[in-house]
Amino acid sequence: MWRRSALSLLAVALTATGLAAQTARDSALSRRLKARPADSLGRLEVPEAAGRGVRPVTAQDNAALVMALEHKIRCTCGCNLDVYTCRTTDFTCTTSPALHQLVLARLDSGMTEAQVLDAFQKQYGEMIFMQPPKHGFNWAAYLMPFIGLGVGMGLVVGLVKRWAKASPRAPAQPAAAAPAVGATPEEMDKLKQELEKFEA
Amino acid sequence: MTELGNICLWIALLIGLWGSAVAFMAGRTHRADLGRSAERSIFVLWGLLVVVSAALMRALLTHDFNIEYVAAYTSRNLPVFYTWSAFYAGQKGSLLLWALVVTSFGSIALLVNRGKHQDLTPYVAGTIAVIAVFFIATMVFAANPFERLGFTPPDGRGLNPQLQNPGMVFHPPMLYLGYTSISIPFAFAVAALISGKLDTGWLHAIRRWTLLSWLFLSCGIVLGMWWAYVELGWGGYWAWDPVENASFLPWLTMTAFLHSVMIQEKRGMLKKWNIGLVVGSFLLSIFGTFLTRSGVISSVHSFAQSNVGYFFLIFLIAAALAGFGLLWYRWPMLKAEVQLESMVSREAAFLFNNLILIVIAFAVFWGTIFPIISEAVRGTKVTVGPPFFNQVNVPLGLGLLLLTGIGPLIAWRRASLGNLRRQFLWPTAAMLVVAAALAAVRMTDAWAVVAYALGAFVVATVVQEFVRGVGARHRLHGEALPVAFVRLVGRNRRRYGGYVVHLGIVMLFAAFAGLAFKRDTEVTLKPGQSADVRSPYGWTYHITHQGVSQYDELNRFVTAASVDVSRDGKYLGTMKSEKRQYLDSMGQPTAEPATEVAIRSDAREDLYIVFAGAVQGTEEAVYKIVINPLVWWVWYGGLVLAFGGLITLWPSAQGPTPASRRRAEPAGYVAQVGA
Repeated sequence: MWRRSALSLLAVALTATGLAAQTARDSALSRRLKARPADSLGRLEVPEAAGRGVRPVTAQDNAALVMALEHKIRCTCGCNLDVYTCRTTDFTCTTSPALHQLVLARLDSGMTEAQVLDAFQKQYGEMIFMQPPKHGFNWAAYLMPFIGLGVGMGLVVGLVKRWAKASPRAPAQPAAAAPAVGATPEEMDKLKQELEKFEA
Repeated sequence: MTELGNICLWIALLIGLWGSAVAFMAGRTHRADLGRSAERSIFVLWGLLVVVSAALMRALLTHDFNIEYVAAYTSRNLPVFYTWSAFYAGQKGSLLLWALVVTSFGSIALLVNRGKHQDLTPYVAGTIAVIAVFFIATMVFAANPFERLGFTPPDGRGLNPQLQNPGMVFHPPMLYLGYTSISIPFAFAVAALISGKLDTGWLHAIRRWTLLSWLFLSCGIVLGMWWAYVELGWGGYWAWDPVENASFLPWLTMTAFLHSVMIQEKRGMLKKWNIGLVVGSFLLSIFGTFLTRSGVISSVHSFAQSNVGYFFLIFLIAAALAGFGLLWYRWPMLKAEVQLESMVSREAAFLFNNLILIVIAFAVFWGTIFPIISEAVRGTKVTVGPPFFNQVNVPLGLGLLLLTGIGPLIAWRRASLGNLRRQFLWPTAAMLVVAAALAAVRMTDAWAVVAYALGAFVVATVVQEFVRGVGARHRLHGEALPVAFVRLVGRNRRRYGGYVVHLGIVMLFAAFAGLAFKRDTEVTLKPGQSADVRSPYGWTYHITHQGVSQYDELNRFVTAASVDVSRDGKYLGTMKSEKRQYLDSMGQPTAEPATEVAIRSDAREDLYIVFAGAVQGTEEAVYKIVINPLVWWVWYGGLVLAFGGLITLWPSAQGPTPASRRRAEPAGYVAQVGA
């Protein structure tokens, strides 16, 4: 009898120890979760663990014009993303949702796309755009690579022409793997060996 | 152990300085004993850095939070898998990894070339020692990984949640391996320039290293794209971030080198250009590291700003002056052995290929630094983001794709009209058929149509080369077709491995062109509510919100939002996107909740669902839903590219080509030319 009691006590102690260990392992958030009763209204037990709360999406949020505009405007939080990408990706950012609201407000006030962009430029300067506006010195950004390509092409073509003039004119190479017509098997074998040597 | 690590770091600095000095002296005086000492100093450096790394790793694994680096990047409940990656998650650890890999590769290069290239070896050892000294000195004087705190915190700050992803375990080391392995070709180029041994001998010594470096960079870049795609949740894989650009730049110049070096080996041309590309690639690898550490350009990848950036700037300038100064000094010795004969030749095609690769590199570099230039010239800050890079690089990239098809088909020296007709008939037909088919299905994006048509052209050229090669072996040797195929590739791994790489490139271009048809939207759903999203292929996804659940998992608290997905009425499965609140060992949040994306991927498109958040703390959820066509092709294109690179890299019993071997011995070449 006493043995059974001792075993029961031991089991209770072990269970208690296990539970204590389990509790210690559980996170503070989890403890909060377990402490609360289930919510039939679909409320999250630990809402802050799901990140910043969001508001329902409206048709205007998904409008093609809004998305197009926001793809052109840079978020100023330092993420290097455009406003649309930042507000739909970095859910910790509070800047891009604010800029989104500004875009919506400006469109609601009757501004056109160009006017909205102008207003952003006046407010933040050129760096608000995801690419340099095409005027003045900014053209250097767009043109330099193609000027480089043009100069490079000119140089390569000029050099090749000069070299081609200077070098003795060799007969044009035959098609790479044209079959030898009328060759004997020995000749074919020799040709194959030579070709392999050349191609190796 | 950490004290031992710290002491070893100081000893490594002294040994490195000794090795650098003695190596250059050995090269100058031709004293074998000094040469041996220089070589051994590289091996000793490696051994010391292994001890330093082991000490840091032990500190990380035993949670020695008195060490600032350990406290900053780990916590008690960080899984061991990620504790390992904390080794290079921060600036100090990454500098140590860099130094360790440089000396590892340096030791291997010296062992592999033992007894060969006697005139070059001391300078190679010296250059490697200088590079290692730079990294060790930076650690010792500006970023010591063993720096101690004035107190011991009970737990560390843990690893950034976004770095707790398998992609981040492999992506940074791959990039580091790529960057650091460029040091070996650079060391041989410097050695060839100083010693004046400018035949193709140094090229034979670096051939595998350049391929290896290119392969590591390729894998590192693709793994980084994968990490960005699955972890960052913005629905893309390449954002033209300055640091992404910095990894792309040496890849471009190395790719150019891998093509132009063939011309030097086969025809003895482009010697100056090739050395310039090797030096440039090394400088660009340092430039990338400078960007991440200096804070001169805003980037999501930036490490905490410190004076380490100045160290890199000084090293970058010194390396540029040394590399290009030596090239200028040896300029007269680097004359081509023969001249290019025709504009319609493989040499000319490779020249144009190099030109476009370098122009793309310039465009990326220019765009990356343009904000600084604009501020300096006009005093106005501008942003140069993805729209700029796409606008400039798409036409250049398509030009490159065209040359990828043209280059391998044109004959060396001079192509005849018959050659051109025979080689280009079927590829051109394939290109036109694909363009017509895409026009028939009313594909509206002109760039995408051009990309797919050119892709078909390149694939046709590769298939044609394999078919003709296998056919020739089958006819000449009577081999069965599979045997002929294996032997064809086996006997000329460089050429056919290169073709496989070209196929990988086409797959990547196909994926990039797919971005033109990307669709994204946001929806708000209560449990049981559904939304329909139309795919560019014409079918409709029906997405039903199942609810949001919360639970503990490893070192985080998870909020998971689940949706059931069906396509045109056919049930596809349940997808789950999460918010993960990472916790320290006391259950306290370590950072803002991170987002985990749900992705359903097949060869045609990815359905990419992001749980944006809960509305007012309820199970009503906002989802971002993206349909990304052809993303699968990026990952498998990357695999094909890496596979092709491995074929090319695989050792061949034959060694360098006969023509290249002859060029390694100038006298032999003269005899050959004279014959």
